[in-house]
Amino acid sequence: MSGFKVNRRDFLRVLGWGGAGTALAGCDMPSTVTLEEGKEDVVAYFMPEEYVIPGVGVWYASTCTQCAAGCGVHGRVREGRALKLEGNPESAVNRGKTCMMGQAGVQAHYNPDRLTQPLLRDGNALKPVSWEVALKKIAEKTADIKSDRVAWLSGTVSGHQAVLINDYLNAYGSKQHFTHETINANVWQAVARDMLGDAQPVLRIDKAQSILSFGADFLGTWQSPVHFAAQYAKFRSGKRGILIQAESKMSLTGGSADAWVAVRPGSEGILALGIAQTLIKRGWAKGDVPAKVKDMLAKYDVGMVSNATGVAGDRIQRIAAVLSQRAPSLVLAGAPVEGAENAYDSVAAVMLLNVLLGNIGHTIEPSVQFAETRMQARTGGTRGVVEFAKLAEAKKLDVAFISHANPVYSAPGFVKMKEALGKVGFKVVMTQFPDETAMQADVVLPLYSALEDWGTHVAAYNAGSASISFQQPLMEPLYKETRGFGDAVLALLKQRKPKEYAAFNDYYAYLKASVTNMPAAVSKDIKNKDQIWNALLQKGVLETKGNVGKFKINAAVEAVAEVQGDAQFPYRLLPSARLGLWDGRHANSPWLQEAPDQISKIVWASWVEMHPITAAKVGVKGGDYVRVTSAQGSVEAQVYVFSGIHPEAIAVPLGQGHEEYGRYAKGLGVNPNKILSPVFDKKTGEVASYATRVSVTKLDKSARLTHLGASDTQQGRKLVSTIPAAIYRRTEGEA
Amino acid sequence: MFYKHVCKLVLPPVLMFVSMLLMSGAPARAELAAPPGVTPPVGTYAGADVAQPIEFPHDIHVNVNKINCMYCHTYARRSKVAGIPPTSKCMGCHKMIATDKPRIQKLTEYFEKRESPKWKKVHDVPDFVHFSHERHVKKFVFDADLPVENVEQVCGLCHGEIKAMTVAKKNKPLTMGFCQRCHEANGGPGDCWKCHK
Repeated sequence: MSGFKVNRRDFLRVLGWGGAGTALAGCDMPSTVTLEEGKEDVVAYFMPEEYVIPGVGVWYASTCTQCAAGCGVHGRVREGRALKLEGNPESAVNRGKTCMMGQAGVQAHYNPDRLTQPLLRDGNALKPVSWEVALKKIAEKTADIKSDRVAWLSGTVSGHQAVLINDYLNAYGSKQHFTHETINANVWQAVARDMLGDAQPVLRIDKAQSILSFGADFLGTWQSPVHFAAQYAKFRSGKRGILIQAESKMSLTGGSADAWVAVRPGSEGILALGIAQTLIKRGWAKGDVPAKVKDMLAKYDVGMVSNATGVAGDRIQRIAAVLSQRAPSLVLAGAPVEGAENAYDSVAAVMLLNVLLGNIGHTIEPSVQFAETRMQARTGGTRGVVEFAKLAEAKKLDVAFISHANPVYSAPGFVKMKEALGKVGFKVVMTQFPDETAMQADVVLPLYSALEDWGTHVAAYNAGSASISFQQPLMEPLYKETRGFGDAVLALLKQRKPKEYAAFNDYYAYLKASVTNMPAAVSKDIKNKDQIWNALLQKGVLETKGNVGKFKINAAVEAVAEVQGDAQFPYRLLPSARLGLWDGRHANSPWLQEAPDQISKIVWASWVEMHPITAAKVGVKGGDYVRVTSAQGSVEAQVYVFSGIHPEAIAVPLGQGHEEYGRYAKGLGVNPNKILSPVFDKKTGEVASYATRVSVTKLDKSARLTHLGASDTQQGRKLVSTIPAAIYRRTEGEA
Repeated sequence: MFYKHVCKLVLPPVLMFVSMLLMSGAPARAELAAPPGVTPPVGTYAGADVAQPIEFPHDIHVNVNKINCMYCHTYARRSKVAGIPPTSKCMGCHKMIATDKPRIQKLTEYFEKRESPKWKKVHDVPDFVHFSHERHVKKFVFDADLPVENVEQVCGLCHGEIKAMTVAKKNKPLTMGFCQRCHEANGGPGDCWKCHK
């Protein structure tokens, strides 16, 4: 080296000047990435509407279709492009709020993997064809078909779309409309119908002083999360309500609870009966139950329940005390309870608590009856898809229509949906994306996105307001060869009943004529149909007058069977759901893949969640790969070790494991639906999707888990102050 | 050796800095006066010639016929973008005026096809820059009580003397330094998020 010396201080001084120079010069460097004169087109309006100003957004009311909750939205449109979605304050469901899935609605619309042309099967391949050819093919195949050999399988549908599906099947004389939703509240609804005489009672979380939730993730995935989150905010303000979450894997709601109680998976119903027995024994019960039920409850003393559920006896008594002291209370049951083999009886046991605590009529109110029954939401569970597959498997179907669902991905593996569909003569799939089901179709009809289509929606959980939410296009369709769902079904209907539907050129005309003739839409002040229609679209919501129903309480609850262990498969598999990827339908949205799981903070992947005790037994640490094996098959993923899960449970989240579904979803992670065992809830016929037993084996592979946050603890830094529950109890006297 | 490396690293930016200081002494184009009380932003730029679908003559419209900038770029005072006038607006005049000229005949062809010409963008800032015409027109025209007929002086601060051109050509750098120095001289906001949002 040369003898020239630069000391550290001089070096930094020079560097400082150089840095300043670079920084200032940087401000005058034109960006070579985005500044290209004469490269970008700028096209003026040909003849603009008066209110349109380029650069200024216009907001239109519409309805979110990202899940079945039916939230009203406002979409911002600028220069003819839909840019942003926010909640519509007029909607009783969400009152101006949206969740992350709602926010990601624009990504479903602009997704580069959307189908742009109808596809027709030619041997093993699907070839692009015109709508005329596709519709002609359907007309040929359905020309003289018998009523019982045609079926429609869909996700939740409501409003005029449901009416059209119904009318189309009626044209054949068929009643075979099956509905399928992996994330559902079917058992809760069945129990509510039997015990209260109302399948969708209105829940008032905001009026409750205490809540005991058995795995009901009402802030994340249960029924109408945005609606419940707003109620929850009220529940927590003012006199702060107490939330106790009893479940075997911590959900988003469990993470927000004051007390999180780990319950042995499948024993939630027994815990509910144990609390019921405590209430009766202590004389805390406010509601009355039949003597037969009291006799049945007698055996559920604290000792027995504590043994069966793994929850300490004093804790059971304390929960009972909190619920009875902090009245009105509310007791809920969600997916883990509704997915157990004793689902119906367990949920009934939970509802019994509401009866005993006197919540019926206070925090559980009768729903508002919706006059237009044909437009009511047709929700589904897992029973529908199993029944459909059985028909298909038995070669009892010549033609099947599938819309709003991706059953080849979401049906349990034992259903063998792909093979069953292979035995259906002719399959028509209506979808936006090249998903697993579309790949098995004979004809694929590419649909408009939710931001391009017309529709009316009636929320399954109607939040105490019988209203119709309108969906209107926010922008012109991106692809010329796509059509609206309503337009497609209308075209099919015209094949069957040309005369009846001749008056309607398109779904828009049908919808406008139909809506403006509804008694609820007609007002004294406005006579002109165009005015009625425009006012409705502007507001986005039509509230209909409905009578409030009456409850008929029937508390004849039966005992809950204990779930059986299995030496070969020592753990129960929890196919947990989360707000974001939902049942897997949003796996093709990069925003929602990138939004971490609320509990594990993992992104873009599947994982196997287990308790530290379980991890020690299996001999693994976080990041190690394991194989989870059930009697039906196995999946492999990395381990995430977490204390918020029962040691007898293993959670593999829903949402990943797509074999098709575009560039963002395909080939990521695993699908726990595929290894579910054929266990059913006997009373409802729903698949007991939380009742599969599995074993876990270590694989000789390990990698870093991709998740936010390097540490699960505060590393002793007291970022959030905490005190032990025992001290809190001594000083505050609460749960 | 080491010092040489430092020179290599440091000198080019330093030279640029010095040359910028020298550049800032150069006078702006004398023809177009700045609005009273406004220190015009400093810097020039030799923009490329951009071929447009129709060679639109700004000079005839502004210099000869004295049409105000905001008559056609009507969104400048209402929106972040100044806007290209709708084709129907062009035809408002050109149904009658200069219908024998080839450029107008070409425009009429577009109009009859109910299409707008695909103009090429000349003045652009990167996507991470939020520039609002509305805000600048408000400050320099309406709040300053500048007679609206003189609005070209305000437009000219960033666009130069458009009335001397046929199709527009970029003749100011529109870089961050250009914006920043004008904001400092005329009391514009200095917060990062005012523009980068």
